[in-house]
Amino acid sequence: MLNAILPHKEINLKSLFSFEKTPFNLIMTAVTILLLTFFFTGFIQYVIHGHHAYGVTKEHPWGLLIAMYIFFVVSSTGLCIISSLGHVFHIKSFEFIGKRAIFGAIITIVSGFCVIGLEIGHPIRMVIYNTISPGFTSAIWGMGALYSVYLFLIIMEFIFLSRNEHKWSKFFGLGGLLIGVAAHSNLGAVFGFLVGRPLANGVFYPVYFILSAMITGCYLLFLMYGYKYKMQFNDEMKTFLMHLGRLLGLLIAILIFFEFWRFLTAIYGRVPQRSDTALHILHSGNFWFGEVLLGMLIPFGIILYSKAKAIKATIYASLGGMIGIFFMRYDLVHDTLLYPMQTMKLKEYQLAPSWVEYVPTVTEWSIALGSLGICLALYYIGENFFFLDPDKEDDYFKHYVADEA
Amino acid sequence: MEIEISRRRFLQGSVALSVIAASESVSFAEKNDTKSNIISSYGISKTSKDGFSVPTLCEICVNKCALLARVENGVVTKLDPNPYFPKSKNMLCPRGNAGIQALYDPDRLKFPLIRDGQRGSGKFKRVTWDEAYTYINEKMVKILDEEKDNRSTFLFCAGEGMAEETFKTFYQVFGSSNWLNHASLCLQTVTSAYGLTLGAYPQADFENATYVIMAGANRAEAIVTPDTMDLFKRTEGRGAKLVYVDPIFTNTAAKADQWLAIKPGTDLAFVLALTYVVLSEKLYNESYVTENFNDFEAYQEHILSHHYTPQWAEKITGISAATIEQVAREFMQHAPQSIYYPGRRSTFARSDFQLRRAMAIFQALGGGIDIKGGLVFGKGLGLSAHEEVTPIYANSKARAIKKKEQVTKGQAGYEDCAIVSGGGSWIGWRNRFLEGKMPYKVRGMFVYKHNPVLNMPNTAKTIEMLQKMDLVVTIDTMPSDTVMYADVVLPECTYLERTDPVKTFGGVEPSIAQRNKVIEPMFESKPVLEIMRGLSAKISKPLFEVAQKYDEDIASSIEDSSYDEVYAEFDLTKPFTSSQEALNEHAVAKYPDAVKSLKEKGVYYPEMQTFFKQLSANTYQHYPEKAKAYTVNAQKPKTSSKKVECNLANLADKGVDAMPTWKDDFEFIVPEGKFRLITGRHAQFTQSGTGNNAMLRELISENYIWINQGVATKKGISFGDKIEVSSTTGKTVLKAYPTEKIGPNMVFFIHGFGSESKGLSLAYRRGGNDNAVIEDKIEPVYGASVMHETNVTLRKV
Amino acid sequence: MAKYAMVLDYKNCINCKACEVACKEENGVLLGEHYHRIWVGVNPIKGVYPDLSIASNAFYPSQCQHCENAPCQDVCPTQATHYDENGVVQVDESKCILCSYCMVACPYDARYVDERSMTIDKCSFCSDTRLARGLTSTACQATCPTKVRVFGDISDPTSEISMILKTREYFTLKASLGTEPKLFYLK
Repeated sequence: MLNAILPHKEINLKSLFSFEKTPFNLIMTAVTILLLTFFFTGFIQYVIHGHHAYGVTKEHPWGLLIAMYIFFVVSSTGLCIISSLGHVFHIKSFEFIGKRAIFGAIITIVSGFCVIGLEIGHPIRMVIYNTISPGFTSAIWGMGALYSVYLFLIIMEFIFLSRNEHKWSKFFGLGGLLIGVAAHSNLGAVFGFLVGRPLANGVFYPVYFILSAMITGCYLLFLMYGYKYKMQFNDEMKTFLMHLGRLLGLLIAILIFFEFWRFLTAIYGRVPQRSDTALHILHSGNFWFGEVLLGMLIPFGIILYSKAKAIKATIYASLGGMIGIFFMRYDLVHDTLLYPMQTMKLKEYQLAPSWVEYVPTVTEWSIALGSLGICLALYYIGENFFFLDPDKEDDYFKHYVADEA
Repeated sequence: MEIEISRRRFLQGSVALSVIAASESVSFAEKNDTKSNIISSYGISKTSKDGFSVPTLCEICVNKCALLARVENGVVTKLDPNPYFPKSKNMLCPRGNAGIQALYDPDRLKFPLIRDGQRGSGKFKRVTWDEAYTYINEKMVKILDEEKDNRSTFLFCAGEGMAEETFKTFYQVFGSSNWLNHASLCLQTVTSAYGLTLGAYPQADFENATYVIMAGANRAEAIVTPDTMDLFKRTEGRGAKLVYVDPIFTNTAAKADQWLAIKPGTDLAFVLALTYVVLSEKLYNESYVTENFNDFEAYQEHILSHHYTPQWAEKITGISAATIEQVAREFMQHAPQSIYYPGRRSTFARSDFQLRRAMAIFQALGGGIDIKGGLVFGKGLGLSAHEEVTPIYANSKARAIKKKEQVTKGQAGYEDCAIVSGGGSWIGWRNRFLEGKMPYKVRGMFVYKHNPVLNMPNTAKTIEMLQKMDLVVTIDTMPSDTVMYADVVLPECTYLERTDPVKTFGGVEPSIAQRNKVIEPMFESKPVLEIMRGLSAKISKPLFEVAQKYDEDIASSIEDSSYDEVYAEFDLTKPFTSSQEALNEHAVAKYPDAVKSLKEKGVYYPEMQTFFKQLSANTYQHYPEKAKAYTVNAQKPKTSSKKVECNLANLADKGVDAMPTWKDDFEFIVPEGKFRLITGRHAQFTQSGTGNNAMLRELISENYIWINQGVATKKGISFGDKIEVSSTTGKTVLKAYPTEKIGPNMVFFIHGFGSESKGLSLAYRRGGNDNAVIEDKIEPVYGASVMHETNVTLRKV
Repeated sequence: MAKYAMVLDYKNCINCKACEVACKEENGVLLGEHYHRIWVGVNPIKGVYPDLSIASNAFYPSQCQHCENAPCQDVCPTQATHYDENGVVQVDESKCILCSYCMVACPYDARYVDERSMTIDKCSFCSDTRLARGLTSTACQATCPTKVRVFGDISDPTSEISMILKTREYFTLKASLGTEPKLFYLK
């Protein structure tokens, strides 16, 4: 019956556990199980100790889990946007990625929701009061509402893509894209609206979120296809990945340009708090090694140097790129909270408050890394149960011949 | 000082108290229904349906501020300021607010305890009150029998408090002559010096003064009511100029108009130089001086001929000559609305007595005595005294004070000091006890609400003294460090669970205030009056038997009259038969409506009904301006001569300078590599008394040692490093607080931390104990302990 | 329908922290130094001993500013943070989802997590305690030794607080953020 709605492969446990026992697959299995164990352990810790299990404080109320949530929803939005290049905007070489990318968008946002569910103190109350007592001026409310709609739309899109009903898939795809972009820039606004946090406050984050989402989408597609094709690509795949690489190069270039001006304008004139925070960030290893080197320079360098033809290198760099993206999300949260809102000493025997410190606890790391396990598991299940590549019979994709290798 | 022992051992007092007992009122708790809406007319404390407020007095420090305790379902839920009291003026400090935590402290002494292990081991067993009394009785009978009924073989010591007099009554009827209290560890020199010079220890009218010199009195942190409130509303150019003199930058310095970082212990040189400026420039109030000074010329001659010039003082004090001149001139320009604040604190340096004399005389030079805006004596509202019961014991020896073998004129007559006042010198007494220099054996000790282990310099010696006693009985609310060395621990209830002796508060706005019981005592704790009642009932007869054994006059008297008649004269239970409420009613009987007012408002003064009104959200009028007692003695000092005593020749007979004089040995040398230790107070901490208070603990969890920032940097010490502080007396460890607020050759930390009592779960080993380090030096005039003359070394551990 | 506000004659403050304790006792704030609704702040002193700047060591008593344009209220997704009828910024415990966004948004660090209800707590001007009992002062005001605070209704032009604001110069904290605090510091 489900098949009538959403075409799928045979769903049973046997198919789930029968996979090619290559060393790489075995490693991935072990990693996934390990990560799921982490998540479960962290979850148990949270059930027992509540927020005490986390390293968040009065001064640093948001931490790794918020960063991880953002990491996932950025990934989701990124995949949605990049996939829409094909089936919404009809850029030919991107059209075939639709289903896989949208499926990726669904599982990443679901993973994100799993994480945020353990961060929000009262998730059930959230569902109730977000509905009956909406705070329309709240960017979190906007983001929550829009992401819910977004999730619905991209699921619909996935269903219609699977059913090869492209009129509807395009309709939901466009809807998903618009709502996704709205939701995601709203997430940027969660930070951008913070009038008391001079570096976060302003236009940068809402715009930057869309840009970095697209970059994330590119990195993830590189990884997904690299994994799928075991680094052996046919010509069409090569063409697609080269186009994707060029797009990625352009996006990274814009990001570097953004970041450069962001920091220069923050520092220029030495506006209190804003410039201090910016300079402090420029003195951190996270920023230079995580964000700039892994997240921008290495992939950009490879793409630039090889004119986007070094696909394998780009895929490896995408792995680093995703780590870089993780640093960007973590730093985004931490940098926003870096400057203390209480700068005075409240007791004689203390040092004056300085940069707010935050160290995630083991529980937070368990949940954060463990949630990657959720994502990997869902991806594996999806790969097993659904048809993530275009249907060869589908006229729409007749120019594309899937490589079954 | 020998007690003249009358062979007619009849009671000097009578048993008039039984008259009061007959009219004893019902206990306060039964009258709860009258407590509703106590002061709702002023919108201050409208009580809720299921709650009511009881007006009472705070006991978290010595100030006795008035408060309203809100009770809901039998639980004290909030302490609010009581605006009726002119002394505390509608305020409650952080400690006062945290009093609830003292009431509900889980570590409280809940039951009578008897030691069950080595003394000091902290091991006790729970006993009944009767078992505790019986234990004390047996020990006392044995000791007194062995000491042939020398009652002075028992030492009684007490901390400051409203129920101290009840305990002191017990000491009196028991017949000992060894009484020691906080005075010689505290304000002995200041009160005595002002008493000798101006006839009384005056108050400061900060509400009206326009110029204030405050030296060594940190009123923003060592809160005294109403001084703290009156002063700081008017500083920073808003009515009064505050010149603050202190080697360290305290919160008072932060509120001052001018801060003078004086070298520790050199205040006397500063005051002498101020005096020099005033005398040499003839800035003083000539008519006042002519009329009200004794021996002014001698004093003038003394100051000028010793050349106590600002330049001279600059070298000693570190305060520039120009500043000294400026302050002296400004003070006299503002006089008589200018105040050199007398302060109320322990003795810091050996020169303290002379410093206070010099301060008092300097104040008087401007005429600011008994006058609005100056130092004032104020009026008092007398209370009717209870008649005393003082049996005379034939074998009770005089106070264990040691006179010098050969007393020569012009030298101190006692081993400890020149003048013995009150109980004399506590540390002098303790040290002589340890050195075996007592005229007789002292074998037992009663300690009430007093913690000499932590509160007296040289903790190790105090512990040694306690260890050498045959019987130590402590009465306290908390298992303090001293309680740990007791044989018997009698749990007193906290101040919120008892009515204490009514007290009169003299001043510009005099009043009478009463501590009313808010809730019934918890666990098996009792007010000290009931403890004394129970104990005296147990020991009275057996001790009379001992007295009878060693005093043949008693036996003959019994033959002359009857056993009962003679015993009645020695009946220790008599002073403790009445309830506190009844005693208080008797004390204020002469004031109509006082009893009612004290119960309902906690405060009484004549014409309160018409005078008291709310002026604004925060301010109340207690007395209209014209009814305030600024001038009560025609602006004259209260000495018997009605003159300012510049030159006290009788002091010279005892080896004390007749006029304030700077001695070379007052200069304290800090050797290279060492630091002078300074101690002090804190607004969120009362000596060792509040160390276990959970609420205050989060405001100040432990004391840190202040080290000059530059010195700390040089020594590689940073914030929070553990520092071992040591002197010839001992050592203690606490965390470092490098700061610019202290000079390079001194260190500072707050007194009262570093408890070693395991009974205090929050205070145990928190911070450092200053008295483990402070050397037990004795001030030469009154034998007060000198707190700031110890050099210490620091070591990072 | 009042508009409650507070003036602080902050120069009176001696940093004794009576207000902090009174607030905790009155409002049942949990023990623990991170749980507090009000505070007294001080900046590190400037200068080198003994040449220190007295002015640099001023004490600033503070608490929730009850902003007329409160960032915390704006960002609350469920309207748990709201204005009551007296203009006081309040938290509805039953609606708070503990997303902590208000803590991130508050420029004054005036909020903390109450560990019993696991919701965000803050100064309520003693609305549910003293004001509910019919009193007209907050705990911090009533207990203050030097009478720093005056609490009252600024919509009533004859109230004491209104009279003070008419006659004394004042400033508000982080005024440039446009939060329009209702805590007024007297110069």
